[in-house]
Amino acid sequence: MNTPRSNDSEPVLREHVFDGIQEYDQKLPNWWLFTFYITIAWFVIHWLAYYQFNVGQTDEKRVDDAMAAIENNRLRQFESLDDKKLWEMSRDPKIVEAGRASFMMQGRCVTCHGEDLMAKKTHPENLTLVGQALADKEWQYGGNPSDVLKIVRKGSPDVTKGMPPWEPMLGPRGCVEVAAFIMSHHKEGEPFTISAPPAPAK
Amino acid sequence: MNRAQPNLASVTTINADGSRRFLHPADVQGRFTVLRRITALALLTGYVALPWIPVNGHPAVFLDVAQRRFHLFGLTLATQDLWLAFFLITGLGFSLFYITSFFGRVWCGWTCPYTVFLEHVYRRVERWIDGDAPARRKLEDAPWSATKISKRVLKHGFFLLISAIIAHVFSSYFVSLRQLYAWMHGPPSEHLFAFGVILSLTGSLYFAFSWFREQFCIILCPYGRLQSALTDDNTVNIGYDKTRGEPRGKAGTTDAGDCINCVRCVQVCPTGIDIRNGLQLECIGCAACVDACDTVMQKIGRKPGLVRYDSLNGLNGGPTRFIRGRTIGYSVMALIGLVVFAFSARSVKPMNVTATRMKGAPYFMADGSIRNQFNVQVINKNNAPARFLMELHDAPAVHFNLGTTAIEVPAMGQASPLAVLTLPQLDFHGPTTVTLVVREDKPGGAAIERKLEILGPDTRLQNHDYLSPDHYKK
Repeated sequence: MNTPRSNDSEPVLREHVFDGIQEYDQKLPNWWLFTFYITIAWFVIHWLAYYQFNVGQTDEKRVDDAMAAIENNRLRQFESLDDKKLWEMSRDPKIVEAGRASFMMQGRCVTCHGEDLMAKKTHPENLTLVGQALADKEWQYGGNPSDVLKIVRKGSPDVTKGMPPWEPMLGPRGCVEVAAFIMSHHKEGEPFTISAPPAPAK
Repeated sequence: MNRAQPNLASVTTINADGSRRFLHPADVQGRFTVLRRITALALLTGYVALPWIPVNGHPAVFLDVAQRRFHLFGLTLATQDLWLAFFLITGLGFSLFYITSFFGRVWCGWTCPYTVFLEHVYRRVERWIDGDAPARRKLEDAPWSATKISKRVLKHGFFLLISAIIAHVFSSYFVSLRQLYAWMHGPPSEHLFAFGVILSLTGSLYFAFSWFREQFCIILCPYGRLQSALTDDNTVNIGYDKTRGEPRGKAGTTDAGDCINCVRCVQVCPTGIDIRNGLQLECIGCAACVDACDTVMQKIGRKPGLVRYDSLNGLNGGPTRFIRGRTIGYSVMALIGLVVFAFSARSVKPMNVTATRMKGAPYFMADGSIRNQFNVQVINKNNAPARFLMELHDAPAVHFNLGTTAIEVPAMGQASPLAVLTLPQLDFHGPTTVTLVVREDKPGGAAIERKLEILGPDTRLQNHDYLSPDHYKK
């Protein structure tokens, strides 16, 4: 549409025509051109660093390492734990107090096991709490600290009972604290009986 | 020194060899310039002041990225409320479309932060140090001398200082002023990331406003291109009245049009175009040429408005239609976005509640009762600890935990209590829905309801008549 004017500053039209379309002979702004040169230079640096000398870590590797570190950390918290350590923890007031806070938080363990851990505290309408008594000497799945910790972490082996796994919610540390709090109601070496699994629900 | 006139085919600010041609827009006075300065002053004041004005205990605008709480004029949004941003952003977006369809690139010329900083801060400093347009041009072409060096050092020193100030104000929108102040007094090694952000922001601002300038608006800004697509023949833009102006002639001649070809409109243009060539992509609608032309017209005793705000139809002598499909469509869309945002923002609660059935079996049976267990998650969006009450409604026969349950949630933290619903088996007559209400433990506190479905064994399986073979013989 633009007919070339006799202005010096008007750019020159190139000779070729395609479908009636012509183009001006103009240069790209230099700063724009430089951005291309910068990307070319960056490509060389990147190629050398990542593909030749392995200077940088790939994102994939970084994520994998971070995930492995988290998993290692999680495993480490449990592998050094045995009954002896857990009994020790159950006598550590700081750990027990942290466990008590988790246990007693409204809507947590206390909901089913009661404030006295006996599941006997009754509802105003005489409803027995649904959990197991934890402060008596009768256990269903073993009374050693590691047995208790396992139930806290993984939930009841009997899925009809409704004790859920708590590790996803409390985290490894929280589970250990709660187990220590429960064991603080017991003495190391005290005898316990293992009750027969209850009859299946009628 | 050949300073050729702008043309339609190439960008004035780029020389034929691709090098940059710096513009030195001339001073301009007039009503639009005054109005634009007032607008810019108001916007700059708002920009600096907003983080300082407390509303409901938070700065008026505080996008707290560390805590992920977003405070907007007293409204506090958490990450969970992000969906609201959809309506806010589309509403604002369509509002801009709407304004653009009426008044063209009024955003670019009057309110865009880039223009406000460039025209009303950096160029003012440049004008103050280097003098008016001819003086600036002379200084640019002059060989390096003590005066030129000292002026350049002074100017770029100021530019860097202003860039640093703008960067700090910008950061104060994302970290608290107190935190920013503490960082400013501590060694950078203690907050390398923040220091790096400020440094790169300062650098970018300095580069943009001391060197890059109008190149951004002409070549990089996608919004400017988008705005050009939103205008039509009825959109009011800045235009030159060809019918009145052409043919151009000297002042005093009678057979020529009103334009005396004084090129004042070209001299004042911050993007270096000749508005008389028509609407061009470089035009940011700043109205400097309108003021420049009106001043000249007044001086030679002619009617102002040779270059004016008008639509293409208006410039061709026709009427401007404001009500048309495009403007109606954009206003409807802008209204939908903003109205939905306004309504949904009112429904934002200071907490978030989710209730999901606990992992494991869907229900448990013991002692003649049916038990359903739910994980409730209560997120406290307040920055103070809060106490919530959990209650069960519409469920007379259901025993709920120990009755009403109180939950203490730390400031901006979350708690995940259980909801254990127990129902005597005799009272269970098929799945029922009950309502869990979590409310703030204070008068007039907000409440959130969640439906919980109580499941149990199929009641038909306990019906001996139903199970007896006789039933099937009926």
